[in-house]
Amino acid sequence: MADRAVPPGLRGGILILGALLAVGAGAPLIATSQPWVAREGGRLTAPALRVLFGGRAVRGPETRALLAAPVAHDPNYIDLGAILEPPSLRHWMGTDALGRDVLARLVHGARVSLAVGLVAAALAMLVGVPLGAFAGFRGGVVDAVVSRAIEATLAVPVLLLALAVLSSAAGWLAALSDATRVAVVVGLTGWMPVARYVRAEFLKLRRSDVVSAARALGANDLRIMGRYVLPSAVAPVLVTAAFTVGGAIVVEAALSFLGLGVHPPTATWGSLLADAREQIRSAWWPAVFPALALFLATVGCNLVAEGLRDLLDPRARRG
Amino acid sequence: MADDRGTAGVALGSAPRVARMLRAIARRLTSGFLTLLLLTVLVFSLVKLAPGTPLAEAADEGLARLPPTTQAELERLYHLDQPLHWQYGLWLTSMLRGDLGTSFHDRRPVTAKIRERLGTTLGLNAAALAISILLAVPLGAFAAWRPGSWPDRSIGLVTYFVHALPVFCGALLLQIAFSVHLGWLPLAGIATDGTASGGTLATALDRIRHMVLPVVCLSYGSLAYLSRFVRATLLENASAESTLAARARGLGPVVAFVRHGFRLAAIPMLTLAGLLLPALVGGSVIVESIFAVPGLGRMFLDAALQRDLPVLLGLTLLAGVSTLVGIVASDVAYSLVDPRLRRG
Repeated sequence: MADRAVPPGLRGGILILGALLAVGAGAPLIATSQPWVAREGGRLTAPALRVLFGGRAVRGPETRALLAAPVAHDPNYIDLGAILEPPSLRHWMGTDALGRDVLARLVHGARVSLAVGLVAAALAMLVGVPLGAFAGFRGGVVDAVVSRAIEATLAVPVLLLALAVLSSAAGWLAALSDATRVAVVVGLTGWMPVARYVRAEFLKLRRSDVVSAARALGANDLRIMGRYVLPSAVAPVLVTAAFTVGGAIVVEAALSFLGLGVHPPTATWGSLLADAREQIRSAWWPAVFPALALFLATVGCNLVAEGLRDLLDPRARRG
Repeated sequence: MADDRGTAGVALGSAPRVARMLRAIARRLTSGFLTLLLLTVLVFSLVKLAPGTPLAEAADEGLARLPPTTQAELERLYHLDQPLHWQYGLWLTSMLRGDLGTSFHDRRPVTAKIRERLGTTLGLNAAALAISILLAVPLGAFAAWRPGSWPDRSIGLVTYFVHALPVFCGALLLQIAFSVHLGWLPLAGIATDGTASGGTLATALDRIRHMVLPVVCLSYGSLAYLSRFVRATLLENASAESTLAARARGLGPVVAFVRHGFRLAAIPMLTLAGLLLPALVGGSVIVESIFAVPGLGRMFLDAALQRDLPVLLGLTLLAGVSTLVGIVASDVAYSLVDPRLRRG
């Protein structure tokens, strides 16, 4: 396995996702009106870092900014004197209907969108992997029930299911913050493909020699599944995880776009698109850049998933 | 997938073969029915997820707090005093009678609301499905004709990226390009004001112009997916024995490719069409809301935003049931068409 070359697609996908994740993780430092380095009353300070750790923002004429952040705007700073400005040197991606910097919002949106996508995918895996593993390994009635449940839930399109749950379970979920609520709902409505995939894998492996040998040695089901079957199923699980992250990011964006996900003023890629839709007749830039970001994220996830599949699963490889 | 039991199966008489096929179909129908039942349980649990009871809902609407006796009476009326499984049974029977309840929003029966909008959404989806199949098959075949050539590579690259573009992003980009900047197509809606008086041809043309972008948005995802699928299936079958045999019989490469390759590819495509349905329905919600099309998708979103539970659940059930029926039907069609399965 070690000598197998990393497919270029996988490398590209990791690069794209890594860059997006880095932007998301570093958002409070990348897009902020606080300078990175400033001179305040004769002392060199780092206001951006200070604000990040709860310190005070810079103010007053005694401050001189020496090094600004790459995107020197706050995502929620409203500037009614600069409404819907096209991309310029000052605002690289223009401003939106409230004069907010689109790039700053895009950077901070990456943080929320990617975090929601990752958490939701993790939840989906947490539900889907054990369920699918159990069903596939046990077979029989358990498998029949779980498989039917997967089929039944899959029959309702994910977006509809998520919308229905968000709407009807509003009372239960009210205590959660927008982003957490969306992550939970997207995760709990997205486990089915994972479970189906893992089930198929475990079904295949349950008759393998490793399993018979482990059973002969007296291992119980749980140990066999965790210790001997799961390692062989790691490849498909990883592949599914990558696809699931991509799917979760898109569903979150769709929900926020439709008005039932993360609400304004919090920036996510979906809510940016929802805002942009209102001004679509007069300005293209608030819509095009978040759309491209989402597109990049999906391409990145797909490339990683397919690359992993090619790398880890020789059966799926084609010439 | 190769089947090495092929020759043994041919030797079997036709009567047991038919019986076996019928048994496979019966099995599929049974499991489909069980799935359907589980689906209703799922939707019913969504009802129960909703906060409070219908009585609390009524109280929210400004009805005064009810005296305990009236409340108990009402609970009896709505069977809220019954155990959960009994409530489920009652709910299921009313669903089976075609009673989906009345909308919280405008007090009209859900079935009536669905009926008046069904045509729009069905038309939109049918057009989208037809277009994606009609375009995907030649596109995929063209790509598979010379695998690795530059047309194949460029088709592959384009469909790969198009498939990764979420439908609401694609819709906004198309609106910006074709409606705002080029001005070729209307931005949204289903008809221009005032065209109704301009004669039938003008009206029809106007309608079609309004449908172009929604249909494109609904179909491009499945078009990309299908064409890749067609290519892969044709390639898999290009070296199939029947195709080779046809070549050996002296048929030209194109005829052999089309006549035999496609025959084999038709079967998996049949199942795929059933699987594409959920994506289309999900896409309808987004596309109809972006393009202001008064269909079921728009109705679903409105119901979700207004917490109009009966409408929401009625549509969820409808989407789930129609998808399941589509999948089971395509599976049954599969077992009718596929000789390997017929012997299985």
